[in-house]
Amino acid sequence: MAKKILIIDDDPDLVEAVTMILESKNYDVAAAYGGIEGLQKAKTEKPDLIVLDVMMPDKDGYAVCKELKTDPKMRSIPVLLLTAVVSHISTTRFTQQMGLETEADDYIDKPVEPEALVKRIETLLSK
Amino acid sequence: MTNILVIDDEQIMRDGCSRILSRDGWSVLCAQNGAQGLEEMKGYPGIIDVILLDLMMPGMSGMEVLDHIRTYDPNLLVIVITGYATVESAVEAMKKGAYDFIPKPFTPDQLRIVVRRALERRALQKEAEFLRKEREKSLRDIATEKSKIKTIINCMGDGVLVCDRDSCIVLSNPAASRMLKAPETCLLGNYLNQCHLPQDLSHAIEESLQTKDMSYTSVSQELSVGEPGEIFLRAHTAPVRNDIGEIMGSVTVLQDISHLKELDKMKSEFVAMVTHELRAPIAVVEQQLTVILSKMAGDVTEKQEQLLSRAKERTRGLLDLIKDLLDLSKIEAGKMVQYKEPLYLQEVIQRVVDSMRSEAENKKIDLQFSSPPKISFIHADRNSMEGIFTNLISNAIKYTPEGGKVWVHLGEEGGFVKANVSDTGIGIKKEDLSRIFDKFYRVKTTETRQIVGTGLGLSIVKSIVDAHLGSITVISKEREGTTFTVSFPKESNPTLCSP
Repeated sequence: MAKKILIIDDDPDLVEAVTMILESKNYDVAAAYGGIEGLQKAKTEKPDLIVLDVMMPDKDGYAVCKELKTDPKMRSIPVLLLTAVVSHISTTRFTQQMGLETEADDYIDKPVEPEALVKRIETLLSK
Repeated sequence: MTNILVIDDEQIMRDGCSRILSRDGWSVLCAQNGAQGLEEMKGYPGIIDVILLDLMMPGMSGMEVLDHIRTYDPNLLVIVITGYATVESAVEAMKKGAYDFIPKPFTPDQLRIVVRRALERRALQKEAEFLRKEREKSLRDIATEKSKIKTIINCMGDGVLVCDRDSCIVLSNPAASRMLKAPETCLLGNYLNQCHLPQDLSHAIEESLQTKDMSYTSVSQELSVGEPGEIFLRAHTAPVRNDIGEIMGSVTVLQDISHLKELDKMKSEFVAMVTHELRAPIAVVEQQLTVILSKMAGDVTEKQEQLLSRAKERTRGLLDLIKDLLDLSKIEAGKMVQYKEPLYLQEVIQRVVDSMRSEAENKKIDLQFSSPPKISFIHADRNSMEGIFTNLISNAIKYTPEGGKVWVHLGEEGGFVKANVSDTGIGIKKEDLSRIFDKFYRVKTTETRQIVGTGLGLSIVKSIVDAHLGSITVISKEREGTTFTVSFPKESNPTLCSP
């Protein structure tokens, strides 16, 4: 059975692009266009993995991630953060800061290279 | 011209004196009795230097005349002429203030000697009077000057604090009180440690008072006073030295830069906002291009692929530029260099060099890193340091032709840890050297046209170096190579460090 991935991002164009990447690899894709909607869909769709944007107007990715990780039913769903928060002159800064602030399982910079995204997702799903 | 007045009732004496003294170039006035003598004296005020006065005269006696002269001008020198060596009257005259006496009869030489001595005394008197007036004038000038300086200092918009060498505040102006939020009574006359000044400021003043280093001229720092973000000051502190170089005190000038800080913050926030707003759509466009180019949206012809690849290169360039702009605005907003810790620079550089190795190998460039086994810690932000060396080393690789060499050397010099990044690259022209740290400055030549860059890298490096109180210099020779040298002060409290 195809694994289901939930994409949470307020930009519909980005959601569309990422959906196309994932669908080309035969993933089942669900989409939510905001943090609050994302949390609802996470409950109803029961995805195997969540791709989560950081900067969203209603509820940002950190907050969504925190709620996901404190919910016993959803805690085990791996979260891949999509960071448009510009990665730094040195990228380790991000790891450090995010490591402190979120419990996301991994992160990847927007825009994503299809192979890199798929590889990360496969790694997370195989854990 | 020296003027001598002779008062004597005897014609022969007046003529004699007149003749003897005129011969020596002195001008002689004569009077034949006391009353006439006093009149002559008053007729030439300030002109007569010495009076020769006969004690035994008909009419007003010599003693009486002497009294009048002394009341009129106590500085006038009177030599009394006493008849028949009456010592008693001479003594009495001296008691009344006569300068000297000469007993009759006297020889011309005796007269000359006595008069000359009186004149020397007169000259000294005049000199003393002149000096006294000069001194009075200079004291008045100093007082005026002091009052002028005090007024200037009090009217100044910049704060001024002056300490003596015992760390006691001996001068402060209203601007200083306002900026430091301390009334004058809390500053003036108090010792530094009683004034509740910002700690960094007291520290800098103490340091300037204690420095033994003659090359120590001044220290500038930024201070925050009051509520966080309320008042920002720039403080310049400098020692005051006397003529032999001893430190006599310390002067601090304070400038209120809150307004500038506010503007700077607004500017940085604006840049950050704009770049975020710019970045999001460009990232989406690139994402879409990526998807099309991966043929996930259907087949793409070769020509389309070519065009779209080029479009993607352009969006990539834009995203890099925005990233650099954001870095810069973050540094300026003080957000970037917040995590300072004792840092072992060797480790940081090693990591950067390792991560650059494949890039260097692709261009067949020999990348080397050398460092002494032990090196001091510095107090720095790890990521910013990685940023500096990533930037410098990747620049060196970029601007060095294939087969060249890039080497990094770490060392210590004085109180500084110093790193050189050298290459055998195309070098930088003399006229460009001074501008390479400017924002958006890129050297445009046929050789550099192919090299991708935003022109912000080195200005970011410079900002980070500045934020660490370090320095960066560059030497370069065209077609031979370039060496960048960055240095940072050693960690001042190395006991806290552990590698």
